[in-house]
Amino acid sequence: MQAATTRVTLTARAIRSPRARRLWLGLVFVSPWLIGYCAFYLYPFLATLYYSFTSFTGIGNPVFTGLANYSGLLHDAAFRTAVFNTFYYTIIEVPFSTVAALGLALLLNMNVRGQAVYRTLFYIPSIVPVVASSLIFVWIFQPSFGIVNDLLSDVHINGPDWFFSISWSKPTFILLGLWGLGQPMVIYLAALQGVPREMYEVALLEGAGPWQRLRKVTIPMISPVILFNVILALVLSVQYFTQAQVIESPPGSPGNSTMFYITYYYQQAFQFLHLGYASAMAAFLFAGVLIITVVLLRTSSRWVYYENEQR
Amino acid sequence: MIKKIHASRRIPTASPGGVARRKARYALPGALAASAALAIAACGGPPASSGSSTSSSSTSSSSGVVNITWQTMWSGNTLTLLNQMISAFEATHPNIHVTESNIPSATGDAKLLSEIAAGDPPDVFTEWNPVLGEYAADGSTQPFTPYLTGAYAGLEKWLYPIALQGGEYNGTLYALPMSMNSWALYYNKSMMKAAGISSPPTTLAQLYADQAKEWKFSGSKLEAIGFYPLSTGFEYFGSFFGAVNCFDSSGKYDFENCPGAKNEANFFAQYDQYPYSSITAMEDAYGAVAGGDDDAFVAGKEGFVMDGPWEGAQNIPVTNQSMAGNFGVVPFPNTVGGPSTFGQGNYNIIPKGSAHPQQAFEFISWLAGYQNETFNSQIDPKGGWMPASPSVVQQPAYQAWLKANPWLNVFVQQMSSPYSVTPKLTQTESEFETAEATATEDIAEHSKTPQQALTYIDQEANSGAGG
Repeated sequence: MQAATTRVTLTARAIRSPRARRLWLGLVFVSPWLIGYCAFYLYPFLATLYYSFTSFTGIGNPVFTGLANYSGLLHDAAFRTAVFNTFYYTIIEVPFSTVAALGLALLLNMNVRGQAVYRTLFYIPSIVPVVASSLIFVWIFQPSFGIVNDLLSDVHINGPDWFFSISWSKPTFILLGLWGLGQPMVIYLAALQGVPREMYEVALLEGAGPWQRLRKVTIPMISPVILFNVILALVLSVQYFTQAQVIESPPGSPGNSTMFYITYYYQQAFQFLHLGYASAMAAFLFAGVLIITVVLLRTSSRWVYYENEQR
Repeated sequence: MIKKIHASRRIPTASPGGVARRKARYALPGALAASAALAIAACGGPPASSGSSTSSSSTSSSSGVVNITWQTMWSGNTLTLLNQMISAFEATHPNIHVTESNIPSATGDAKLLSEIAAGDPPDVFTEWNPVLGEYAADGSTQPFTPYLTGAYAGLEKWLYPIALQGGEYNGTLYALPMSMNSWALYYNKSMMKAAGISSPPTTLAQLYADQAKEWKFSGSKLEAIGFYPLSTGFEYFGSFFGAVNCFDSSGKYDFENCPGAKNEANFFAQYDQYPYSSITAMEDAYGAVAGGDDDAFVAGKEGFVMDGPWEGAQNIPVTNQSMAGNFGVVPFPNTVGGPSTFGQGNYNIIPKGSAHPQQAFEFISWLAGYQNETFNSQIDPKGGWMPASPSVVQQPAYQAWLKANPWLNVFVQQMSSPYSVTPKLTQTESEFETAEATATEDIAEHSKTPQQALTYIDQEANSGAGG
């Protein structure tokens, strides 16, 4: 009893101390975020980990199955196809979109007439809803009536079947990905405007040409932003879903050529109701993205330059 | 590209004159409570309603009127029919009020399961019947056995056998149809005439030869299709080849050793010379134009198509009037045994946790047309639907519809054909459907032989009951 009273007194005294009160108040003010984080991120994350070791359809109680779901993934041909398709898309889309967005930002950073108009025009596509732009692209790339094949036929080229062809479907989705370059482009543009002008002046005095200025000044100075955009593009690429789900019917077609990781995850979770298996897929994806991100961050010290970094 | 034929909470404001100098120690619980309230409001607040859509919770009012909720995945013109049905039902059942809500079909199943898990399901849910085996197997839907007494004792015998089988899982009735499907071969009269074909085909060989004359290309651009079963899917032709319910003695899918399935796969392989991706692109384009109700046949660009009565009764009149007198319907040629159809339809279930199952059953049996033949015979023609019972066909309104559209008789006769088959409801129908769609594509794209495609279906469909 004596001990309990002492503890209460100590706790009350601790709260009265200025430092504890600040902490207490800080917690009060961040509590909406803390509660939201626990309810909508932490709990679902931990629940997903738990369900990944169970057989669960959403109804009734999950049945613990150990590593069966993970073992199933290793023997699942469709899962391997989904991993391959996602890898194919990511390995081409991330460098392609990074170079394209940076190139576009460099062009839009030039002091030309109508600069603001160009910047707006190139940014607008990225604010078009993904579903709407996907449906537009279906028509643009429609093999029989689409404008792309019409233009190609004008120069005597038989256009492919684009989204409807096993061999062309993934490249067409990569082309579609370029439609959303506005977002990284704006970030690159902001970074380019932050590069000190005196560095270019010094480079000019040293006799550096445009290519050398780009390589030796611009890219090193914006390399932290490049890293940020690459990680963001990587995460978005491995989670590629909406466009493929909207455009292909049934999702994954033709011939499983657009069966991306999340498409397969969605199919397992919400079509087949294999919530345990899908949770294992989610855990696997999380581990994969985490490893790639850590590797990128660890290797970034070799190519990312931080102005205030102590080396 | 296999064508799927189917389908604030207000937070009270602080009172004026409230404590102005609140001490910090009261701030945490207050903020936590407010945060919790916000979180709960964000998660559990009722969705914004539009039209007839409301929250799925069912209530009983103090006046004794029970409010049941009906969740569907219909869209477009069909919603008008649903409202007519509800009005007619409420007029004859003043103690039951029905609130209909519709959700996108892509998320329909997932939403229902979330609602069941949350303990707030609709009282009635409409679903494409093949997947009902999955619901019955995991207890997501309630059996109708307790209700099949008294006035409903004769309900099962009243149904077409294929309609009854479509709602049964392991011998227990879990669902009743509100509309049935029947499949036959449509032909385009003017395309046949232009190709020098005098009458519709009666054998598979004749169909193949006739349709071959109707394909049109301009360079590599596809302009007209003869007949292309591969974009419809393996499953829908099953009854014509004796390839429905191919199971082994342990109840597993066994298409690999099913003679009918082999015949069907070989029939499909005959058409693999045609450009699959161009055909599906063309069909998708037509489908997109009319919001999914149009296809190359409706557009007058396909010589033959295997489809249901809604094609002639709904899609053509609504989207391309010029085709209205330009088509005919015959039973699919040379089918096993005789004219048959594949028994499937839109069925209603009572999800687990329904607040008013008795009233829900009353509504479901009424929707099926039981003791409601007159109204049912009037609404089915509007939807281009086959009824659940021959009793509905005998009604004057239905007979008048058949008389005005004699081509519909093919579909109606097939409903009672002894060769018509209903696929047995299984726990892994979704896996089976996905596998047969992929296998059909694989045949079309030459990435699998017919036999390999059948083996693939078995592997995928049998590997599904887990996870």
